[in-house]
Amino acid sequence: MVDRAGRNRGGPELGRNKLVNKAMIPIVARLQALQTVAQVNFGGARTLADMSDPQPLAALLREVNETVLGRTLTFVSGTGASIALEVAGRRVLRLVTADGVADAESCLATPALDDSQKDALIKVLQAVAARGHDLNVTSQPIGREADEVSVGLPVALLADLLLIDLDALPGSADAPASTPELVYLTRAEPAGLAPAGSPSQSEIIPFGVAQSGTLLQRFALQIGPSFMAWLIRGGADDGVFFGPDEMVSHLGDFLDSDGAALMVQLDRIATVPGGTVALGLGANLQDGHCTICARHGEGLLLGLLEGETAKLLPQAWAAAHGNG
Amino acid sequence: MGVNETLGNVIASYPQVRLVAFADLAASMILASQGKSDFTQESLNRLCQQARASFDDPLFSLSVEAFGEPHSAVVMEADGLRVFLRSETEPADALCCICDHSIDLAGFMTKIRDTLDQISANG
Repeated sequence: MVDRAGRNRGGPELGRNKLVNKAMIPIVARLQALQTVAQVNFGGARTLADMSDPQPLAALLREVNETVLGRTLTFVSGTGASIALEVAGRRVLRLVTADGVADAESCLATPALDDSQKDALIKVLQAVAARGHDLNVTSQPIGREADEVSVGLPVALLADLLLIDLDALPGSADAPASTPELVYLTRAEPAGLAPAGSPSQSEIIPFGVAQSGTLLQRFALQIGPSFMAWLIRGGADDGVFFGPDEMVSHLGDFLDSDGAALMVQLDRIATVPGGTVALGLGANLQDGHCTICARHGEGLLLGLLEGETAKLLPQAWAAAHGNG
Repeated sequence: MGVNETLGNVIASYPQVRLVAFADLAASMILASQGKSDFTQESLNRLCQQARASFDDPLFSLSVEAFGEPHSAVVMEADGLRVFLRSETEPADALCCICDHSIDLAGFMTKIRDTLDQISANG
């Protein structure tokens, strides 16, 4: 059995080789989440994730998911960043404090979080649940009447947006592993539609890959940070990715299982078999999120695009070709 | 206003559009089209097949899982775009368009959605 930081604690294992009724998995995950955590720190803080945990953000969301009565949960990262959330009924009601976390103002300013703040809150959560650092939590009474259970953001919604399975067993096959073989591009300023190699573009690439990247990488960078998670497999940019680990890991799993089928699908839509082509799918290509798949040579790019920027795809594609 | 006239209105509004066609995806058939130049029946059939393939697995399943069912698709190649829009009320009805990269995609999507709704409503 593993604790929620993924450490083996002995006892019966529920790995992929064991026969387990699938309906039991969420129940077992809950029970594991409720069990006493081995590591308790000064001040009563509990360690949700250690430095080796591939998904500290999942651990944070599971902690919220286990909080039914009104509580103020204070999450402290090894980076020094910390946030306090008022939580009740498996919903995040309010962001009370945020230290060392950028762009938290919009969430802090609102008395009750709602759907319009979900993207901003996700960025705050990602900042405090940084991979490679410990994540501790303390729980205190909420300090006021938590009668706003009907408002706030459901943790299930946040988990869906982040492609995190709250019921996955830590350390199981359902809990994505880390992707250490990939190059990590840190989140950067918007790329806009500047031509490749322009001064503004060189500022957004931490290690100068824009000039040397293939068409796929130039395309991704032209779209900018609203291309919230992407991954390239094959070709010269094999392994380059951007975005939250959980989402990139999910994209990698999809390419592992369906990469060959994706190539076939692209052949069906390309003018020339095996030719360079990109496909974007979305609700309306105006203000909804969008899924992008592109091929150039042996490289395959797969990513998820935030809403309101799908309209920029044609210009980004043209600019990546040097026609922008 | 007839279907051809409705499609012609799209061409008139967006000079970057080379072709707009109304398709029955279930039957894999282009039912009407308007364009700046003649497109062969073979190329129209190919366009309809590409529309069907765009809304097919595996990317369709990933999109559904991530964001819900997609009704719009954009295919980008070096020489231009193909934009496909499915009706939300009549899933087999779709518009298939060939455009230049310079098109205002947001405005164009609004235009062709209105056009598709109009055609589908007139049955």
